[in-house]
Amino acid sequence: MSFSVSDMIWAIINFLILVVILNKFLFKPLLKTMDARKDEIKQDLDAAAQANAEAQKTKEEYLKQMEEAKADAQQIIVQATKIGEETREKLVNQAQEEASRMAEKAREMIRLEKDEALRQLRDEVASLVVMAAGKVIEQTIDLEAHEQLIREFIAEAGDAS
Amino acid sequence: MFATPVYAAAEGSAEHGGALFTLFGLEVTSVTTTMWGLMLFLTVFSFLATRKLGKVPTRRLQIFMEMGLEQILGFLTGIIGDEAKTKRYFPVLGSFFILILSSNYSGLLPGAGHIPGLQAPTSTLSVTAAFAIVVFFATHYYGFKEKGWGYLKHFVQPIPILLPLNIVEEFTKPLSLSLRLFGNIYSEEMVIVGLFSLMPLFLPVPMQLLSLLFGFIQALVFTLLASIYISTATAGH
Repeated sequence: MSFSVSDMIWAIINFLILVVILNKFLFKPLLKTMDARKDEIKQDLDAAAQANAEAQKTKEEYLKQMEEAKADAQQIIVQATKIGEETREKLVNQAQEEASRMAEKAREMIRLEKDEALRQLRDEVASLVVMAAGKVIEQTIDLEAHEQLIREFIAEAGDAS
Repeated sequence: MFATPVYAAAEGSAEHGGALFTLFGLEVTSVTTTMWGLMLFLTVFSFLATRKLGKVPTRRLQIFMEMGLEQILGFLTGIIGDEAKTKRYFPVLGSFFILILSSNYSGLLPGAGHIPGLQAPTSTLSVTAAFAIVVFFATHYYGFKEKGWGYLKHFVQPIPILLPLNIVEEFTKPLSLSLRLFGNIYSEEMVIVGLFSLMPLFLPVPMQLLSLLFGFIQALVFTLLASIYISTATAGH
């Protein structure tokens, strides 16, 4: 075993050269590629996470909107039902009112007609009585004939009423 | 009876073959040429592994390298405790792991230690000492860089009287680092060489398999200790 200073100096020089070579041609390119890949994967993952979060947010918004729309629809239905109910009631009331008013009017008309008829009848009866009286006076009727006459008249008048 | 030839074989084959040639006034031995070979291999490998890097990895080599890198990075982060900090020291620590691992495994190549120009670098103390010296300087460099002159305070903590011990400790760290790595790999090779000389065909195989494991463990231990030293030096008080 011997120690050679030349070997030692050569080894130091060789090693230093090798450090430069390996660093330039092996370590740096490889590490650069690996770091670039790491960065890209990290970016991709971040982007994916962000996209996922956005999708989740959109979904939540969408669901909220759906919920709101559903509630709105429900409210509209309730309101419409209420309005329909009210309208129906109003219409029925109106119709009833109308009907009762018409009935009232009809009754009023009947009453007026009846009054008119009675008035006319009264006039007729009066003139008939006058006429009958005239006839009685003309013919000098006996008691029997007189009675007959009145009976006829009453029957006539009863028929007319 | 067996002891002498085994030892002789070990002495002869795993030892330095001496200088192959001289470059810039420094001797170039089998250890250095093997390191150069490993560096070439690792450079080519790096190019191949990082060719057409896809964000979605489809090539097996990329997947394998990413897994390995992630493992080492996770392991070191577990020790240092901060991923950003780990990445700052990773070029040095990761290179240590890769170079020591490949150095340890280069000793398992056929003919390693026998053929001139091929010898596991980590099986010599010269190389492991070099690595430990790098760790030593890296530790203090990062310590100063992170904490400025306040870094020196840790030498007089918890009480100033420990200053000499703390200083001694700083030097035993690289010593233990280098001796541990060298001792393990060298002895493995010795054992394999010894077994090989006894019976070349089957006998060394279990030891070689174990060497695969030990080579990995030693690379990991060295990197682990280096990262502990650096993280201790840079940790805030």
